[in-house]
Amino acid sequence: MKSRLVVLILGELNRLNKYNVFSISILVAFIWGTILFFLDEALLGSLLPFVLLIDATLMGVIYIGAVTHFEKTESTISTLLVTPIKNSELVLSKVIANILHNLFSATLIILVFIFLKDVDINLLLIYLALISSTAFFTIGGLCLSYYQKDFTTMLVNIMVISFVLLIPSALYLFGVLTSPAWDYILLINPIQAAQEIIMGAFSGYEYTYKYFVSLAYMIVGSILLYQFFALPKFQDYAVKQSGV
Amino acid sequence: MFSVKDLYYRYPKQDKDVINGISFDIKEGEIFGFLGPSGAGKSTTQKIMIKILEDFRGTISYNGKSITEFNDDFYEDIGVSFEMPIHFSKMTALENVQFFMKLYKRNADIETLMKRVGLWEDKDKMVGEFSKGMKIRLNIVRALLNEPTMLFLDEPTNGLDPTNAKILKDMIHEFKQQGGTVFITSHIMADIDQLCDRVAFIVHGEIKEIDSPRNLKIKYGKRSMTLEYKENNHTVTKEYPLDGIGQNKEFLELLQTKDIETLHTGETTLEDIFIKVTGVKLHDEK
Repeated sequence: MKSRLVVLILGELNRLNKYNVFSISILVAFIWGTILFFLDEALLGSLLPFVLLIDATLMGVIYIGAVTHFEKTESTISTLLVTPIKNSELVLSKVIANILHNLFSATLIILVFIFLKDVDINLLLIYLALISSTAFFTIGGLCLSYYQKDFTTMLVNIMVISFVLLIPSALYLFGVLTSPAWDYILLINPIQAAQEIIMGAFSGYEYTYKYFVSLAYMIVGSILLYQFFALPKFQDYAVKQSGV
Repeated sequence: MFSVKDLYYRYPKQDKDVINGISFDIKEGEIFGFLGPSGAGKSTTQKIMIKILEDFRGTISYNGKSITEFNDDFYEDIGVSFEMPIHFSKMTALENVQFFMKLYKRNADIETLMKRVGLWEDKDKMVGEFSKGMKIRLNIVRALLNEPTMLFLDEPTNGLDPTNAKILKDMIHEFKQQGGTVFITSHIMADIDQLCDRVAFIVHGEIKEIDSPRNLKIKYGKRSMTLEYKENNHTVTKEYPLDGIGQNKEFLELLQTKDIETLHTGETTLEDIFIKVTGVKLHDEK
């Protein structure tokens, strides 16, 4: 018998395919790829990490939101609750399947640019960055979905949260926020942390403490979010889905 | 097999209990029913027994061991069918079943099960294209696919046409004949009457009576013989006690002298008894 976790991950990936989430992510990757392909090298250098950042963060949250939305509409969690599966296996399968799904679309973009645009990326570091960032934002998205009435509300909330998180980073980037204190303050911004470690995989990046703090933030943050929020709150969330 | 003692339950953020100190036992190999109107606490009790709802007060033991001491392997032994059809709608019936099969150590013969409920021909159809009745039948297949020793069925025939309801009831009887134990919740009197060895009447989270449908009818029922006959172009109805009917001179004389139109015994239905015992109608209460 296959490990139940493997069965669940394959089941999640199968459903992502059946519910057309895979097709949408391939389409999004294609659109990004096309836009990036026609950019000159200077712009490509800054936009490619940005696209990978969006894929690992915003899209990670949206995809897990879509998955939980389908589960809510079909109440399928109820049935899974009365099987021998552990809650930890259920939560982990969603996180791992979402990471694999996001890596698939990111890999499509990366491969195109390695072979056609000769972009210099450290594959080990980019996958480390994508896996840790997607894990953090997927688990965060899962926690967020526990409290959302429907997918539309969730999308609106994701937009609001992303906007709030992106504003300080953008203001800092464009020189509006100039105080050196922002160097430290922005470290608590998870999008900034994800951006930092994704940038770390591209040539020309200067490694400072920020890279390591950001990497630790994503990895430790993922573990803490999973252990102290996503997993303990899952039973309540699942019971609500069962119509109680 | 299952023993429930002084069970209380209150939903989070509510100010009163919805289950109020109920106690009952389910014996191995019996079909035990919970009959009650909507909101009586039937499904809540079932959800507690299958470990979906926690934080209950009281004790529930399964084969002599508290259910709180069981890990997730508890579910290898039981099968659950919820009232609402629950499936992945964009997967075929067979894909749904095969996915769940892989989560259990024991597996039933799916082809036999699906043929039994008349779904084998439709196994490659998306569940989203199924009628409600087909989805409910697929619920039963899902509940039986791990060859459980105990089945929990929440309103199993709700939404099924008479033919499919009969197939389902026959399957429940077969499951029992093979040694299985069944817990059924229903507001449909006929289901309980036809299926259950014993039934509990539940209202407002309290059990008002537990016994076999037969004993309940004997205990609370009115045994009578009613006949209708023609007299002066009018239909006259007379009712006599069934006990000692053979020696009832008036009854015997009517049989011999009148033009009898109808003659039947009158047994009180389980629904009548439910109303008599609980003071609540099965279909009205919210």
